Amino acid sequence: MIALLAISAFLGQAYYTPEEAQALFSQANDAYYREEFSAAIEAYRKLIERGRGGPDVLFNLGTACLADGRLGEAVLHLERARRAGGPSEDVEANLAVARARQLDQVIGASAEEPFLQRLAAATPERAVSLAFLSSWIAGLGLLGLCRYLRPGRRALAAALAALSLTAAVSSGALVAVHAYVSRTITEAVVVAPALKARELPRESGRVSFEVHAGLKVRLLETAGQFVRIRLPNGLEGWTEKEGVAPI
Amino acid sequence: MTRTGDSALRWAGPAAAALSVLLSSTALAEVELYQSVDRNEVGTEDTFRLSIVVSGAPDTAQLQFPAPEDFEVLSRSQSTQMSYHFGGGGSSIKRVQKYELVMRANRAGTLTIPPAVLTTADRTYKTEAIEMQVKKGRLHTSPPPSPRRPTLPDPFRNFPVPSFPDPFGDLDDPMGFEPEIPRSDSDLFLRFHLDKEEVYVGEQTTLSLYIFSRLDVSSIDPVVMPKLEGFWSEELDSPSQLIAEQKVIDGVPYKAYLLRRRALFPMKPGALQIQPAEADITTGLMFAAHRSHRKSNALAVKVKPMPPGAPAAFSQGNVGRWRLANELSQTEVALGQPITAKVVLEGRGNLKSVSLPKLAAPPQIRVYEPTTSDKPASVKNQLGGKRVQEYLLMPQQTGTFTLPGLSFAFFNPETGAYEESKTDPIQVTALPGAGGANAIASGGPTPTSPDDSAKNKLEPAGLKPLRYQASFAAAAQPLWSRPYFIPLALAPLGLWVGATVLAMVRGALGREDEASRKRKKARAARARLAAAEKLAQKGTPDEFYGEVEKALLHLLEAKLGGPAQGLTRPQLDERMAAHGVPAERRAKVLSVLETCEMGRYAPGGGNAARGRALDDAEEAMEGWESR
Repeated sequence: MIALLAISAFLGQAYYTPEEAQALFSQANDAYYREEFSAAIEAYRKLIERGRGGPDVLFNLGTACLADGRLGEAVLHLERARRAGGPSEDVEANLAVARARQLDQVIGASAEEPFLQRLAAATPERAVSLAFLSSWIAGLGLLGLCRYLRPGRRALAAALAALSLTAAVSSGALVAVHAYVSRTITEAVVVAPALKARELPRESGRVSFEVHAGLKVRLLETAGQFVRIRLPNGLEGWTEKEGVAPI
Repeated sequence: MTRTGDSALRWAGPAAAALSVLLSSTALAEVELYQSVDRNEVGTEDTFRLSIVVSGAPDTAQLQFPAPEDFEVLSRSQSTQMSYHFGGGGSSIKRVQKYELVMRANRAGTLTIPPAVLTTADRTYKTEAIEMQVKKGRLHTSPPPSPRRPTLPDPFRNFPVPSFPDPFGDLDDPMGFEPEIPRSDSDLFLRFHLDKEEVYVGEQTTLSLYIFSRLDVSSIDPVVMPKLEGFWSEELDSPSQLIAEQKVIDGVPYKAYLLRRRALFPMKPGALQIQPAEADITTGLMFAAHRSHRKSNALAVKVKPMPPGAPAAFSQGNVGRWRLANELSQTEVALGQPITAKVVLEGRGNLKSVSLPKLAAPPQIRVYEPTTSDKPASVKNQLGGKRVQEYLLMPQQTGTFTLPGLSFAFFNPETGAYEESKTDPIQVTALPGAGGANAIASGGPTPTSPDDSAKNKLEPAGLKPLRYQASFAAAAQPLWSRPYFIPLALAPLGLWVGATVLAMVRGALGREDEASRKRKKARAARARLAAAEKLAQKGTPDEFYGEVEKALLHLLEAKLGGPAQGLTRPQLDERMAAHGVPAERRAKVLSVLETCEMGRYAPGGGNAARGRALDDAEEAMEGWESR
């Protein structure tokens, strides 16, 4: 009870210092272990709303949602945790538990995501971007230096410049992949318990199929209150925008 | 057909014997005859009672009952009373015979019951006709009172008997209904009866099929029941022998035979129809047997939907009045030993349609698929019973674990509300088994076939634990999409291009014309002369005179606009002349060059000669530059 009151006191604040954020995080964890999942979920959400999110908070929020039976939200937050912090063992394990509880079985879906998506998921965006910038600047700088060096030292500088520029090209390609995936592929998770996918973006449209909470889909386009989704096996339909949440 | 009532049959025997003794010594009283009805205003659906009383009539007297065309006689009964009078004039006996006819009007209007006629040996007696006002339909809801025997006082009424609440006490008597006597076939008819005509989806209504007969029923051929579409039907009663039950309908005695009784559970809301049943009935015996085909009435059931607001755990078939319980065979068990858990649901309703909650257990306890057994029961024609689900639990680890409480949500049609029956959580303690890890650690003989079930199995299961510490960060924008990323990536290229352009500009700007080249060479000549001046004291003659010579040649190149090195003196003189250099100056220059050559190849003269050569060179150069 005292813990709940403490959580309530924290929830009212508009800004959290790092210490307050850590205290609220710990209290939310305690609430989780007392099986007061709703209190834990609310606290994690507040941390995210106040800019104190991150992969750890997202992972705990997803896990609490999963324990509380909120399958759609659980998959959403665990996917966000994976995107924010990269793949990790605990995120993958809990995502596997969530997928096992899913109602939908997508028949004919390829076991793996497309190559570019896998490549983007496997390479940390920040590291790739930093690698590109540093190798690119270093390569061009060394190339410029060659003009002012004596012939004996010029060869070494040119070799280093070639090495840096090669690294810049490959890391630049990875940055381009990240940009492409981010700009063109919007993934989302079905958060509504059940969602009808229609042939046309209107209420009277014929229902093609129905999807349920926790299913990962791709958002293709938006029309009013409807959004066109694509399942991993290529099945497409229009559904209510509120029923899906982008990762 | 004339029938004698129960009371008449019971008392007629002894009374007749007494009457025969008395009649031999006494005289009969005066004859009286009259008739009356219990009500004069009836409906066409009502029955009424016509009483005809004959008093003091001789045995030979014949009574002729009225035979009205507008009325139907449903039944007749007779009773006799004897009274004795002892007075001064001797004793007298009075016999009173009472006939009762249950009648029903065939049409509406003002109808007349004709008089009854009694004929004796010497006279004919006649009653008054009775006028009846008959209206259409039913005017009286309660049937005319039938004669009843006086009830005796209860001999146990003062005993202190404790009273227990009857769980089915609120249920109706299945024969507590009175069918309407049909106009045709009133002596033998089939009737369907429902105990409830308005029910909720899934609530039981009991359908009974009876034969009502005033004849002796000897056999019934197979009854054809309707399909009962829209209902889940369970048989409650299907008697193999005909058992008659006395039933008085509108004052008319009938024998009621139950043919079928079924529990019906409607499966959808709306108005559901029950079509008539049919049967072939044989009445009478042997040669007097008569076979009749009869069809029952049809019925309609109004089925109400269940109200909104069902709990999340509610299943559509969970309707009735139920109680959930769970029990464990033991709460403390050795690792590797099984526990039996029973989930028991008991109550009233359609047992086959209920869904029991699934027993949940922590991951440390393996739960095997349950076995389900049903014990249906019906009390006072209400279906119910007990469903038992038996689970086998096998702890996989040592420790104390909690089996969470169960909740069974159901709709109670009696209260019209959703209710929940809950059980408490149960704790189970699993202890290390005798044949498990402990036995091996004690150094005893290694078991030949170790029992895996007795091991403390530490398998990964369930969710991964939460992260204990967090690095808080707002959702970061990708680095490549930040505004500075592209400028930063293009900056080295820009620098590279800028440097190249600058070099080109500098190259373009640094191109020398003839004049500047001459000036440059002149400056170089002066620099050389300054160097020669420094060498005048310390340098070798070759260095000194070489510098002076180079200074002059640079000057010539600057002034003449072409190479001067390697030219002979006449050639130099010629070029100087071509450039308009005065002869005196030409001579001076050539003289200095001569001096330098001599000084380099024939050293001598000392510092004084070097000084003169330097002065001559300076004079030649200054004179030239001043031009």
